[in-house]
Amino acid sequence: MTELSWKSVFFQLLLAAGGITIFTAGALLKNKPKHLLFGLATGTVLCAAIAAFLIDGGRAPFFQMLDVGDYARFFNVLFAMAALFALLFSHRHAGLRRVAGDEFYGLMILAVLGMSLVAGATQWLVFFLGFELLSLSFYILIAMRRDAPSGIEAALKYLIMGMVSSGFLAFGIAMFYAATGTLDMPVGLTATKSTGSATGMLLSLGLILTAAGFKISLVPFHLWTPDVYQGAPTPVTALLTAGSKIAVFAGLLRILILSSNWLWERSAPVLWMLAAATLLIGSVTALAQTRVKRLLAYSSVAQMGYAVMGALSVRADGGLAVIFYFTAYALMDLGAFGVIATLCASPESDLDALDSYRGLGYSHPWQAALLSICLLSLAGLPPTAGFIGKFMVFKAVLQAGYFVLAMIGIASAILSLYVYLKVIVVMFMKPNTVTAVTSGFGTAARLALAMILCGVLWAGVFPSPLQTLISRAIAAISI
Amino acid sequence: MNTSPLLGTIVFLPLFGALAALLYWHNERTCRLLALTVMLADLVLVLFLFTLTPHFREPAGGNWLRVEDFSWMDALGIRFTLALDGISLMLILLTTVIGALTVLISWNEIKEHVAAFHFFLLAMMTGVLGVFLAMDVFLFYLFWELQSIPMFFLIGIWGHERRIYAAVKFALFTISGSLVMFLALLGLHLLHARQSGETTFALHQLIQTSFNLPLELTFFAAFALAFAIKIPMFPLHTWLPDAHTEAPTAGSVILAGLLLKTGVYALLRFAFPLFPHAAQLFTPLLLILGLTGIFYAGWIALAQTDLKRLVAYSSISHMGLIIVGIAVWNLTTLSGSLLQMINHGITTSALFILIGMLDERLHTRRLSDLGGLWKTLPVWSGFFLFFSLASIGLPGLNNFVGEMLILIGTFTRQPWAAAAGFIGLLLTVVYVMRMLRESIWGEARISPGIADLTGRELTILIPLTVGALWLGLHPGPALELFGTALTVPDLVKGLPILTP
Repeated sequence: MTELSWKSVFFQLLLAAGGITIFTAGALLKNKPKHLLFGLATGTVLCAAIAAFLIDGGRAPFFQMLDVGDYARFFNVLFAMAALFALLFSHRHAGLRRVAGDEFYGLMILAVLGMSLVAGATQWLVFFLGFELLSLSFYILIAMRRDAPSGIEAALKYLIMGMVSSGFLAFGIAMFYAATGTLDMPVGLTATKSTGSATGMLLSLGLILTAAGFKISLVPFHLWTPDVYQGAPTPVTALLTAGSKIAVFAGLLRILILSSNWLWERSAPVLWMLAAATLLIGSVTALAQTRVKRLLAYSSVAQMGYAVMGALSVRADGGLAVIFYFTAYALMDLGAFGVIATLCASPESDLDALDSYRGLGYSHPWQAALLSICLLSLAGLPPTAGFIGKFMVFKAVLQAGYFVLAMIGIASAILSLYVYLKVIVVMFMKPNTVTAVTSGFGTAARLALAMILCGVLWAGVFPSPLQTLISRAIAAISI
Repeated sequence: MNTSPLLGTIVFLPLFGALAALLYWHNERTCRLLALTVMLADLVLVLFLFTLTPHFREPAGGNWLRVEDFSWMDALGIRFTLALDGISLMLILLTTVIGALTVLISWNEIKEHVAAFHFFLLAMMTGVLGVFLAMDVFLFYLFWELQSIPMFFLIGIWGHERRIYAAVKFALFTISGSLVMFLALLGLHLLHARQSGETTFALHQLIQTSFNLPLELTFFAAFALAFAIKIPMFPLHTWLPDAHTEAPTAGSVILAGLLLKTGVYALLRFAFPLFPHAAQLFTPLLLILGLTGIFYAGWIALAQTDLKRLVAYSSISHMGLIIVGIAVWNLTTLSGSLLQMINHGITTSALFILIGMLDERLHTRRLSDLGGLWKTLPVWSGFFLFFSLASIGLPGLNNFVGEMLILIGTFTRQPWAAAAGFIGLLLTVVYVMRMLRESIWGEARISPGIADLTGRELTILIPLTVGALWLGLHPGPALELFGTALTVPDLVKGLPILTP
């Protein structure tokens, strides 16, 4: 029925080819030119982003398995750009920490491939495949610093959590097949009127939601987040937060959009509770943090709460708000972790304790200013992307009639505001008592941060073009 | 509709100046001169606006001097709409004057991170000017938030000993309030969209929304909460004494002269017109809280030992009377309240400026360290006496006119409230007299040989003095500007402005 058009999956082919080339080059070439692997990796994701932007795969899924339409394309560009920024951050950082090998760059590329499969899957096996590819890449990426105990601890935690969630997912998919007799997402999700399979169907979705909940660190599945964020190399953390979470959420959003009303009515209360718990616990626990990466980890948990709020209102606005929120979130979290990647206490260790950021506003004004703008954006203050994102999410959630949840969201926003202000206070208002930080931007990171800054402000002042793109993306999957 | 963005230029000129100031990171003098030039240029533009006469009936049958409307985020129903009437005009005049003065005030006081200081100062001006001109509720909210962030940095970086506490308290109070308003704003927008089928944030369209009473009360409460925190209304005032005391002089002046005014202005421009029935039910509460504020803050001012803190509490006390004027809601009290906003901006700012000048010389603001300043600093003391008397409401000076209008207008509706307000003013006399006795009279405790006011400092004080005298002796033109703006047929649907 579908023509075999390699063009529509050019994005995925390019990434696979790029990843394999990097591994091959790493294994075969004894004396590699200095920037060969970095250049190959950035070239691959850049080409992939352009390809996803230009090539319209059409409405029909590729072999009934993989969405290649506007929805998937939007997210593919997003993932490729996130990876590009993460790679630019790692140019200097990875060299300093001695993790810049073929496996580092190759796995970053494969992680993006995994993300695109998860976000684009219209068939459960492809979803599982992408989920596993994503997880496997990150297991190794997180453990990249073999000499650092915190890295090993982080990787182990992520591995165990990842295994458990894969188990949930596999079992959920099996239940789905048992209940509906198909592995096709649209067919299975829309045709669930038969009462005999109702329990099985709900159980299946519950399991799948649990698996996704681990990956996007919803409360109560969030406990791995701070340790992993702290232990992983900072560019990897950036990709984890801006890529992996969004990929899984994009898949989840597709499930929610496709679900029949019957399923939706039963899953909405669960999402409501997850959103409320995530918002409150994420922002309350962030209050007590004294390490910046952990603080951002908890704040990103709270940010996921807003995303679930947006997802809950998907029936009211078709997902416009939540996807905009994610794009803004990707930009500002990449920016925040990107700045942190350029700061080191010593060549071996990150600048992590909140106290060591004292006076950063004066010793490193650029970094401090950039980090402040990203934090203010995360706090949802104008004129930034985060503000428009929050505006759209709250509007959507009120439109959908979840008034109490909106109040919880505001309470969480006030709590988080305090958390972000705390970091800004330390950077600009506490005297500099700690020895100066050894760091520098490096051209690559400077370029990436400049682009992110422009993006955060541009989406905050002129959000209309981005909204048009997103409207087109969601028009492609509404049924 | 005008096509040339004159009001837009006035709003954004300071922001461009702010960004330009950052370019001169290493040249402090250029920064100061640049900031001063920008604010003076803005002032000239505002003065040009005085040549306009009201001829716009749209939107909403207003008496607008100028309306500017540009497409912005149309898909979300958000437009870049600015409009100017007499109320806005007087307030942006106050803003640009105070803006220019704050640059001069900080000339010697601010020595560290000069470029960043002027960046935040000018960025803040854009926020305040935007609040006074925005007629799209979303745009208004954006400017409303935008003015809080620079203030947070101004207090936190250039403030005194407990500056971090004060800055964080300020940010949490004001932004929490505005987040609650944000939710109500979205609710209002959605309700209007459901009723009319139009997605819009335009104020004159949102006014048409009809509510059931509980919902209207909720929305009004949410809006009023945000504005009451900024004003600040008793019992939400606790952030202000800290912010005032810890802020650098320029920060205190902007707080007293401008930020507090945005709260009253927003109450008048947005909260009352949008939710008239709820506002009517809330007015007794506002009246009581306003009166309580006068007495409570005045009572506490009696016990202060820090000069700046004393003026901070007197500022809250004065704002109480302005709230009374708004709550009574007739033409006399509203004109009085608006005039009093300008007066309070002049006198309280001048007092903070004088205290800042004293602090620069003596490095103390404690009343117990002062005394006998009349002998050592005669010119300073003269100005201090002048503005203290203005603050008491001496006839012939500006505050007298505003206070009398409010009290007379109140007396026609609520005689008991006018009586209570009058007693409150007597309290002002007591604490101001105590302040004067312990600072400029009495035994000299300051070693002589401290230089009196310089030419720069006189340049700051003379415009304020002229303003105080002008509004005290010849308030007619200003009252006429307010009157024209207030006598719009349906400024507030269902809550007509009564002429006594």
